Amino acid sequence: MQKKLIVSPGPHLHNHAVSTQRIMLDVVIALLPTAAAAVWFFGGSALMLMIVAVISAIAAEYVYQKLTHQPVTVSDMSSVVTGLLLAFNLPANAPWWLAAVGSFLAIILIKQLFGGIGQNFMNPALAARAILMLSWTGLMAANVLPHAGQWVAPLAADAVSVATPLTHGAEGFTLWQLFSGDVPGMIGETSKLALLLGGVYLLIRKVIDWRIPVSFLGTVAIAYFIQTGTLYSVESGAHNVLYQLLSGGLIIGAFFMATDYVTSPITGIGKLIMGVGCGLFLFVIREFSSYPEGCSFAILFLNVLTPLIDRFTTKKPFGFEKPTAPAKEAKA
Amino acid sequence: MKQKKSIGTVFKNGIFAENPTFRLVLGMCPTLAVSTAVFQGLGMGLATTFVLVFSNFVIALLRNIIPDKVRIPAFIVVIATFVTIVDLMLKAFIPSLSESLGIFIPLIVVNCIIFARAESFASKNSVLLSITDGLGMGLGFTLGISLLSACRELLGNGTLLGIQVMPESFQPMAIALRPPGGFIMLGILLIIINAAGKAIAKRKVMKAKEAEL
Amino acid sequence: MTSLILIIISGVLVNNLVMSQFLGICPFLGISKKTETAFGMGMAVTFVMVLASVITYLIRAYLLLPFNLEYMQTIAFILVIAVLVQTVEIVLKKVSRSLYQALGVYLPLITTNCAVLGVAISNTTAVEGGYNLIQSAVNGLAGALGFTLALVAFAAIREKLAMNDLPKWMDGFPGALIAAGLMAVAFQGFAGLI
Repeated sequence: MQKKLIVSPGPHLHNHAVSTQRIMLDVVIALLPTAAAAVWFFGGSALMLMIVAVISAIAAEYVYQKLTHQPVTVSDMSSVVTGLLLAFNLPANAPWWLAAVGSFLAIILIKQLFGGIGQNFMNPALAARAILMLSWTGLMAANVLPHAGQWVAPLAADAVSVATPLTHGAEGFTLWQLFSGDVPGMIGETSKLALLLGGVYLLIRKVIDWRIPVSFLGTVAIAYFIQTGTLYSVESGAHNVLYQLLSGGLIIGAFFMATDYVTSPITGIGKLIMGVGCGLFLFVIREFSSYPEGCSFAILFLNVLTPLIDRFTTKKPFGFEKPTAPAKEAKA
Repeated sequence: MKQKKSIGTVFKNGIFAENPTFRLVLGMCPTLAVSTAVFQGLGMGLATTFVLVFSNFVIALLRNIIPDKVRIPAFIVVIATFVTIVDLMLKAFIPSLSESLGIFIPLIVVNCIIFARAESFASKNSVLLSITDGLGMGLGFTLGISLLSACRELLGNGTLLGIQVMPESFQPMAIALRPPGGFIMLGILLIIINAAGKAIAKRKVMKAKEAEL
Repeated sequence: MTSLILIIISGVLVNNLVMSQFLGICPFLGISKKTETAFGMGMAVTFVMVLASVITYLIRAYLLLPFNLEYMQTIAFILVIAVLVQTVEIVLKKVSRSLYQALGVYLPLITTNCAVLGVAISNTTAVEGGYNLIQSAVNGLAGALGFTLALVAFAAIREKLAMNDLPKWMDGFPGALIAAGLMAVAFQGFAGLI
């Protein structure tokens, strides 16, 4: 059986598995601060979710590839990254099976069924999160208050419906809380400090391109500046640029999800378009829809549009001539 | 020389070999839209079967009278008439079904299955065979949409025909009842049925080979 | 004016004909292999849908309602659409031969495109008494634009998938359906918008 020539964006390194592994290793390293923050703020349940998600992801990929008689590629660490990112998108009180189901969906439905590594058209962890949210909305509500340094959540917090920074009307969070991660939310998206450390690492290692995070965050900043007019002030509560930038899944989305090179445009212009698009849709969903958070859907929608963006922004290969339409001559 | 078709083959054809949902992949709109509960799926399937049988009947009856140039508008009028009849009957006798199926009842008129069978079968075959074809195709369609509905209702609600089937601890997967769930469930069902079909065909070939030896 | 904008946003994103209402699935799955053809189909459907919305409104307002012939609505609407599509076919043959050939058998199939009839009918049930003439036309336009968006985006995705190593059993409709399902997940983000 002939394997088709792989047409993929550069860099083209010779040993495919090793190069993927190197990139994935960098991503895992970049995610370590966030993992630490998740355990710090959400204790044992966060650790459990991360372990279950990663093991499920590896198992799903291994089993699928064995059943379909394909070479097993778990050593390229991509399933580890997917599992970790999925766990980061779960609330601390999510049941373990939610993490397992999410990982299976991400690896099998969204990635492997479409051809495996490098061939999915949607970010697996994010699409899985969206499916989980649409399926078990109650279980995916971020209902746990952070309990810094404590292994187990204080009992009272679990039963109460907790307001996250983006729940309309919630205004009681300081900038430092938002930045450090001392806020309710999904276990991996709360600590912007940890996330930014990882993001900068990935930029330095050239694993991600600066265009998407910058255009994404920039568009959101500009949109909110136009809407609220304030960069930051305590009185304005949630209605200022900095608060909005540091809330919800925006930071993790802009640095770790939208930048997935498989599901984002190939060219520089394309990446900028994607960043702006994500920012616009995030703004619209956050402000006009009943969902408190729109980052996942904004990115997923741009994933869907990415092939179209590529169509319009990629340069023609050298020497390529567009076939002339014979009908036009026949008409004359 | 024309091949003689038996009623049995024509009937079975619509349910298995040329099942409109899984083999011909026709009639997707109602299949996806109305399959959130078995009751709705069954209702839609049977309503469509009614229209299919009667329109096939009338078109076969008039097949030598309708001039070829106006056959499309003629088909449309015949099909639309029976759809209107079904619409009014449902409104009168099963209003709950009429309401839940909503816009998809009048949309039966553009169900590609009915048109395709009118064009490719009823206009070229006898009345008896055409009625059988309509019945076979209609029931094949009903089977398809009911199967999908069963999967979606089970997964998304834990019930079948409104009766709780899954254990109490089962957390229904709400997305099964939403559009994404419909698409994905049908895709998965199609994969399973295609695989089953291939396995059955393989087994037949192997058995035939063994019989030769 | 705001109500018209809401109709547009609702038609294109929130209640997208293909992604939310399950209308127009046959052409969506059938013509989405190339972006150019998909776009051409989208434009043809837009043309038919806007005209159909207007004409069916007029027929309902001046023929069906005054003479208590509402039960004839299905027959009347589908006949209007059939005639409209026939006309578009003739016009397209003269004006753009290449597009006519590219669309092939799918052009007459716009008649059975449930999206066109679906929009015509939902125009009558959208609000109490149905949309007025302008609203019907705008709704038709919005629906068609949303349909085109879904079709073209999906075609681009399928073009990309054609270069992948899909497993054998994903070939054709199963793969298309699952891809469409994932696309629909993305569109769910607009669900609570209006």
